[in-house]
Amino acid sequence: MPEALQYAVYLLQSGLGNLASYLAAHVLLCLLPAFFIAGALTALVPKEAVTRFLGRNTPKYISYPAAALAGSVLAVCSCTIVPLFAGIYRKGAGLGPAMTFLFFAPAGNILALAYTGVAIGGDIALARIILSVTFGIGIGMIMALIFRKDDAQHDLETNGMDVKATLHRKTLIFLLLLVALLIAGTLKVGLLTNSYATITLPISGMDRFQSFLYQLVPFDGAKGEEGVSAQGAILIGLLALMGLTAWRGLGKVDEGFNRWTWVSLGLIALTFLTAAVGMVPHAGGLDILLTGKMFGVALSMVAIALVAWKAFDPYDIQEWLWETWRFVRQIFPLLIVGVFVVGMVRRVIRPEWIQALAGRNTFLGAFAGVFFGVFMYFPTLVEVPIAKMFLDLGMHRGPLLAYLMADPELSLQSILITSKIIGPKKAWTYVALVALFSTLSGLIYGAWVDGASAWVLLAYLAAAIGALALALTVIDRRNRRVATAPAHGTE
Amino acid sequence: MEIKILGTGCPNCQRLERVAREAAQDAGIQAEFVKVTDIQDIMAYPILGTPGLVINEVLKSSGRIPRKEEIIAWLKEAQ
Repeated sequence: MPEALQYAVYLLQSGLGNLASYLAAHVLLCLLPAFFIAGALTALVPKEAVTRFLGRNTPKYISYPAAALAGSVLAVCSCTIVPLFAGIYRKGAGLGPAMTFLFFAPAGNILALAYTGVAIGGDIALARIILSVTFGIGIGMIMALIFRKDDAQHDLETNGMDVKATLHRKTLIFLLLLVALLIAGTLKVGLLTNSYATITLPISGMDRFQSFLYQLVPFDGAKGEEGVSAQGAILIGLLALMGLTAWRGLGKVDEGFNRWTWVSLGLIALTFLTAAVGMVPHAGGLDILLTGKMFGVALSMVAIALVAWKAFDPYDIQEWLWETWRFVRQIFPLLIVGVFVVGMVRRVIRPEWIQALAGRNTFLGAFAGVFFGVFMYFPTLVEVPIAKMFLDLGMHRGPLLAYLMADPELSLQSILITSKIIGPKKAWTYVALVALFSTLSGLIYGAWVDGASAWVLLAYLAAAIGALALALTVIDRRNRRVATAPAHGTE
Repeated sequence: MEIKILGTGCPNCQRLERVAREAAQDAGIQAEFVKVTDIQDIMAYPILGTPGLVINEVLKSSGRIPRKEEIIAWLKEAQ
């Protein structure tokens, strides 16, 4: 075989291997519940329950956190981000909270957080959420300060966000149960990962099947690569079946429950259980380990089904399933392509390059991460497998976070949309601020990874935010005095 | 009667249009459907999320897909 062809086959194999191990390892217990949560948030939570805190007359200490909350709860797809952003800016709390919302929405939504936590690590997910909240609010406040004259003009317009709506208690319970399903399946604590009983199924040949799979998809554990186990192969099969039945079953659920709906829901439950048990193939058969995870997942699923059945209208459940399927159809195909391509690309990039540029927690490293993030555009969530690749190739966790902060926030497309709504001057100021703050978050988090005390860093962070808030309040007070006092003044 | 569907073309907007057309048919009401897709035009209404439904220039719902029965009631009211 010519060398070039051999290399192409090798790359293709790496791509497929990466895809298979991602499907088997990360997608099921983490992304699938996250999609259901995202669907429930869109279908069942009335937007006014959050947006009523974003009115013009709401004090800053409520409107900014509310804007961040809106980002994580309401904005799972770009369909909602743009109108909501424009709405907060024009008819609601103004430029500052709108910017906070825009900054926090891509980083703080449930899909991004769950996926980051499972694929890369809970520490990065936590750092991502803490730093995006603080810097999101910080950027919002700075923007409001810089452009306060333009913003004051909007105050003359009416307040369009006074509609009252509350979150029903049943919806809250339902959401908490879905979160419980996500946590039961992904949290790595002894209670959940321990096995409490073993059942041996007399299926022979599973061990040979597994070693065949390991041959088919070669992997190097030392480089953080994962192979495909027999369990993984079964799960991928179930996943494919699920996709086929969901096409009819969930895609048309808005017209009513049909036979396929029940088939696909049953398959989903079966897949969750299969993913939660441990499987050990050996010569004598297949050991099924009944883990704490499995009991947790089973329990949450029963509870979710009960609440859905007893407390909700069939129409609400139809909406929930339909929205969930819409998210899957919108995000999942691109994610699959992304993971596949990342698997091939990682063979081409030399670890030495990454290590030389961003192997340590330096300003240059963090800036390189941000630069790459701003100028590369990846579809929703694909930033996560890319970050995982960088991590495996030897990137320091500090620059990695800087990349993860900047990539979903900024892309050419989002800059264009933003500047259409708020004007190019404000949009580019925002871009500069995001680049600055992302670099800063990378450096702070990197210092923490390198052993600096978390409390000292948190104190610095709190002091910086405090100083900012104080300065803004003082300036705001003075502006108001200037604006009200000289009624006969020039302006 | 004029029914406007506000939305940039996402699946929800298409579904709202379908439901609204069915509602008009069920109610036996002749209506003209207008799709508003430009974000500037959409923002002229007090709306926070797409899709939005406007009947005779009155915003009836936004950020969700109302049930067919709801829309039929609005249509009869507006007649």
